[in-house]
Amino acid sequence: MPFLALRGSRVIETAGGIAGPYCGKLFAEYGADVIKVEPPSGGDHSRGRDSWPTEGRDIEMSPLFLHLNRGKRGVTLDLETDAGRGLFRRLVSQSDILIESSPPGYMTSIGLGYEDLRELNQRLVMTSVTPFGQTGPHKDYQYTELTIFATGGAMFREGRSDREPLKYGGEMGQYFAGTAASAATMGACFRAFMKGQGEWIDISIQECIAGHPHQMGRRAPFVYDGEADPRNNPRQGSSETRETYGSGTFRCKDGFASFLPLGARMWPNLARMIDRADLLEDTRFSSLEGRAAHNSVLEALFQDWFDSHTMAEVFAAGQREGLPCGPVLTPPEVLADGHFSDRGSFFQIDHPQAGILRYTGHPFRLSATDQFRPTPAPLLGQHNREVYEGLLGVGEDDLDRLRVEGVV
Amino acid sequence: MSLDPARTMMNDCSSIQRPLAGIRALELAEIWAGPLCGAALADMGAEVIKIESVQRISRGPIRPGPGASGYPDGDPGERPWNRSGNFNAVNRNKRSVTLDLASPRGAGLFRELIAVSDVMVSNYAPGVVDRLGIGYEALLALKPDLIVVEMPGYGKSGPYRDFRSMGMAIDAVTGHSSLRGYPDMDHTQLSLVHHPDAVAGLTAAFGISAALHYRARTGKGQFIELTQSESFLPHIGEVFLEYGLTGESRARRGNSHPLMSPHGCYPALGEDKWVTIAVRDEEEWRAFCRVTGIAGLADDPRFIGLESRVANREALGRAVAEWTSARDRYETVEMLQQQGIPAGPVLDCGADTYADPHLLERDYFQVVDHPDAGTHLMSGPMWKMSSDPQPRHEPAPCLGEHNGYVLGDILGLGADELRDLEQADIIGTRPLQGADMGGVRRVGGS
Repeated sequence: MPFLALRGSRVIETAGGIAGPYCGKLFAEYGADVIKVEPPSGGDHSRGRDSWPTEGRDIEMSPLFLHLNRGKRGVTLDLETDAGRGLFRRLVSQSDILIESSPPGYMTSIGLGYEDLRELNQRLVMTSVTPFGQTGPHKDYQYTELTIFATGGAMFREGRSDREPLKYGGEMGQYFAGTAASAATMGACFRAFMKGQGEWIDISIQECIAGHPHQMGRRAPFVYDGEADPRNNPRQGSSETRETYGSGTFRCKDGFASFLPLGARMWPNLARMIDRADLLEDTRFSSLEGRAAHNSVLEALFQDWFDSHTMAEVFAAGQREGLPCGPVLTPPEVLADGHFSDRGSFFQIDHPQAGILRYTGHPFRLSATDQFRPTPAPLLGQHNREVYEGLLGVGEDDLDRLRVEGVV
Repeated sequence: MSLDPARTMMNDCSSIQRPLAGIRALELAEIWAGPLCGAALADMGAEVIKIESVQRISRGPIRPGPGASGYPDGDPGERPWNRSGNFNAVNRNKRSVTLDLASPRGAGLFRELIAVSDVMVSNYAPGVVDRLGIGYEALLALKPDLIVVEMPGYGKSGPYRDFRSMGMAIDAVTGHSSLRGYPDMDHTQLSLVHHPDAVAGLTAAFGISAALHYRARTGKGQFIELTQSESFLPHIGEVFLEYGLTGESRARRGNSHPLMSPHGCYPALGEDKWVTIAVRDEEEWRAFCRVTGIAGLADDPRFIGLESRVANREALGRAVAEWTSARDRYETVEMLQQQGIPAGPVLDCGADTYADPHLLERDYFQVVDHPDAGTHLMSGPMWKMSSDPQPRHEPAPCLGEHNGYVLGDILGLGADELRDLEQADIIGTRPLQGADMGGVRRVGGS
């Protein structure tokens, strides 16, 4: 058996969607026993809506669900029934963490609020992940990635000044909130282990996005001296801290490459990258102000060089000069990338219905404990018997009855 | 104590035992990834000590966008290094000690500090801490159960192990850049991002807390190799599985969605004001038609059924935009949310966010009193804990502000020794004449 960092910790996850389950996923990645509790009818909504790229949806083959829930055990339970709540209380009594994402007030209304559960388990860390948190005038607002990314302040600056603001690709706001939730939950879990003190953590996805350094950094000029927060076109204008002709994303021979050299110190490296060390002797370019004044000349020089070099050549030449840069790769290109293959950054997991697929690996590696390959995401109710009989000691006949009654 | 008594009182005014109270972390980090990790630990009560130097200052504004301004009242002041808005936001609740790690005495003091610390966080470029002689292996002898996290862009092995990176490059190499941007424009129009830095920092805070838990159970420390690219890949993990299942690489979507329509960002009343709307199913679509009252919308054959609405999303978008552009964005949001339809205003990070009634009601912003920057409303932690109703809201430290506390109170150096260190330029509270003020020499794991 692998030797795992969080072995012995148990997490109950009723959270659906992305943020809560990503929090649970991080615990599962490092060996906690994460039991995903889904409603018997249809399960987590990430099994269906929001996730499917193709026709013929099958709740066992949603890429989003498969990704977020690997390494977890899965049970079904209807929390709307007395019997379901009874089983849930027994599960929580034997667990360290509860991750939930129900509408604010719902858990309390069915007798499973933090105060109720703390009666059963003083050390419980309960993490509630919702779009707007447990309090405030918008707490009952609905959301999707698009609307919460906008409301958190991340969207306004994305895109061009003459067009509509843009969201990122994927579901970045929710993943980010899930990551914040994991840090807070793990911190509270450490204290619960040391001191026996439980905690109720209120995660607002909006606040996580608002607290992202991108947003903090943009707000700082406003709060300090009233500066507005404009949406700038990429590579627009001058900057005291960036070489604009060398920052951003450039078209090269077979694709695109992104650069973010910081500061005037990178000028010699940029000139050497395009094999034009002679420019360093050119007095027009010897100061930051001079280079800014001749920005279009430099842009043209650089673009000529980019046009005649491939992404791989640009990447190599940039790195030779110590410039932070990289090719814009598509997902299949990432999967085929030699570096990620060499490090085993992706690994295969065999799922009974989805088959063998390559999954992203662990987000970090620990020296003192083993890495392991997680099990695939659970089928709906896959571990009902294992958990209810094995962990809670529910009899076989009772479990059958609960199944007939639709509780599990 | 070098701490101002008033601030000490503020620190100690509650008897709250925050989750990481009693944990000491040394932060050798710049820009975002390491500092955000430190901020998360500090928000949870850890004593986070930034290791800085008077030889090289890395506190400048690096915010994306033009200009390097952002000083209080537009004035760099007498000590501009203590007045950077970006720095002060992401370094809240920390201590600062200056130490010239390149000098034997500075390095020696650092080793003494390690011996009485629990955690070291570094996001310097590959190889830097090893060259300074303070890599994990070297520190183990001083503190066998130390927890160390390093955050290189690509990891300690593999062909890219020595490569320099910033968030922008990680975003490109992991595939996210290919998914963002306007679908009708090429990638040269991509905005600058540092998002992967922030993901790495928060993920590291989880990793450190997990390692502390493990240490409490087993007595063992840990080296955490947190590769910025590998911590970011799971944030688009489903895209790789989509490719595996369908054989097709996901196309850029912009603000659209394959299973929701309308789904976009629409103009609102006012200059550069926008509102986002996402209609998730048929029921919400019927409610949308009803509540907006857009003439002919419900019966338009182009918009009957999701498939048609997705296929004709541009025509639909024009109809929606015409309606939204006549209304205040908050009015639109409230109207749609009353029907249970997801909608949200596009808030900028200037006046908008500070006026958001919900954030204000929840006391998201914290009043922070900074000795060199003044009193401002700054961002609070990303979470609320029921045991901690008044989150920690100490200012970011001034350069070397806690030299006396760290070297005197923690390490027991006397006033004479501190003066001597200052004269030898090993510590200080002002950059040396000719100091490197430009920031990022150790570009890399930003």
